[in-house]
Amino acid sequence: MNPEGLDISILGPAFVAGLLVLSTHVPLGRQVLARGIIFIDLAIAQIAGLGVIAAHAFGWEPGGWSVQVAAFATALVGAFSLYWCEQRWPEVQEAIIGTVFIVAASAGVLMLAGNPHAGDHLKDLMVGQILWVDYQQLSLVALLYAVVLLLWFMSIKTGRQLLFYLLFALTVTASVQLVGIYLVFASLIIPALTVRHAGKHALWIAYCLGAVGYALGLSVSALFDAPAGPAIVLILALLAVFFHTTRKLVSPA
Amino acid sequence: MKRTGLHLLIVVLLCAVSTGIRAGIDVFTCEPEWAALVSEVGGEHVNASSATTALQDVHHIQARPSLIARLRKADLLICTGAGLEEGWLPVLQRRANNPRVRKGAVGYLEAAQYVDLLDRPARLDRSEGDIHPEGNPHIQLDPRNILSIAEVITERLAAIDPTNAEDYRAGLEVFANRWGEAIQQWEVAARPLKGMPVVVHHNSWVYLQNWLGFEVVGILEPKPGIPPSSTHLKQLLNQLDQRRARMVIRSAYQNARASDWLSQRAGIPAVLLPSTVGGTEVASDLFGLFQDIVQRLLEAAQ
Repeated sequence: MNPEGLDISILGPAFVAGLLVLSTHVPLGRQVLARGIIFIDLAIAQIAGLGVIAAHAFGWEPGGWSVQVAAFATALVGAFSLYWCEQRWPEVQEAIIGTVFIVAASAGVLMLAGNPHAGDHLKDLMVGQILWVDYQQLSLVALLYAVVLLLWFMSIKTGRQLLFYLLFALTVTASVQLVGIYLVFASLIIPALTVRHAGKHALWIAYCLGAVGYALGLSVSALFDAPAGPAIVLILALLAVFFHTTRKLVSPA
Repeated sequence: MKRTGLHLLIVVLLCAVSTGIRAGIDVFTCEPEWAALVSEVGGEHVNASSATTALQDVHHIQARPSLIARLRKADLLICTGAGLEEGWLPVLQRRANNPRVRKGAVGYLEAAQYVDLLDRPARLDRSEGDIHPEGNPHIQLDPRNILSIAEVITERLAAIDPTNAEDYRAGLEVFANRWGEAIQQWEVAARPLKGMPVVVHHNSWVYLQNWLGFEVVGILEPKPGIPPSSTHLKQLLNQLDQRRARMVIRSAYQNARASDWLSQRAGIPAVLLPSTVGGTEVASDLFGLFQDIVQRLLEAAQ
């Protein structure tokens, strides 16, 4: 046990980052689950990474803004292409997304072979670490997510085929840099999966489950001096199993 | 009931006070070799701990809450520098926000600034893929560098904790004498290694090579993390046909598959070397580190 890490000034920003990520990922995750396109987050993140490597290949100076522009722009183009594929071949969308992921990842490795420097930026992009975030970073993401959530919940009545893909691309490109791909996947899928039969209050139950998962995961990580991201993922999964079994006991139907 | 509560409170307070006034300088190091070195010089006056272990690739580490907590209370930070910790130390510094160890403060020590760096590229060109434009950062593998850095560490300790300055200087003297003798012994023992052709997994042994005088005739993975192309491997094998290497060297944190592959193809032994303190059982301190390196190289050369 190691109580010295249990310090609100250390864990606070990480927890706020978790809540921010959950705010968008829980509703989007339920949509992802409904459409059966689980790996879309991996594909979008990988495409954004590819954009960053390509920017290097074109000789852009690496730096905060140009890297971000490259990442977001490529992610949006990727999202638009995936939307187009879904219109044409809806029955194989999941397979297409999986293929896009692996092709983008391999293309990235090939391009990196010529320029290992870009690899540092790619890693920054894909393996964000939740403990390193500070409030300044969070305020920018909070702004972006406020816009995303506004557009998302405003468009419930109108159709949101294309909007879903575009908002998803913006959300994931930001969150992957903040907390890394494992936590993005976990926040997207685990709460949504757990509450899929929970009925009317499903969204709020999923939010609570996610928040408890991040709080417990961060505490466990501090107490046992374990890497924070993986600890949160495991706690989220345990909570999901616990929720599922207790629900069955309460209402066996 | 009330009294137990009061007792408990007193115990808790005492614990808090005792950890608060615990004697000694808190030293946060990025790599285990600097924690070992500062303990050699500072003895019981310092509490040193390293952010990474010998079995980790120092370029990437996982963020743990204790890293931030430890850097917050550190009086002295010792890292290699030269871009080695570029991927995580700046963010860790920002989160810890400890003015005592901020860049430029007396409590901030970049070891690479105090030795001559090898492999410094003649011109800066990103297309060459130089990961370390400042030069090769694996400076701990030349024991003569260790001695120069020990002197810098001693002066920093003396500046941070002037009351014990004499102890630090005395500690340095004892260490320097023992270290000087040890270097002589290792150099005598390692004489047969001079001029010996070897293949390295990655270009992280230049300082050892510079000290012991063996010759690197090939590199398995020229760009770290990028698998070598088949052309590169073919060239390497052709090269070895013309000039046989005696062994292929890898570090304790590197995967064995690449060097085992070459070992089988070329019929030469694959050797694991500790690249820092803790890399092998013998390398439990700085003396053990170099003793084990020399020993393992000599065994493979027979």
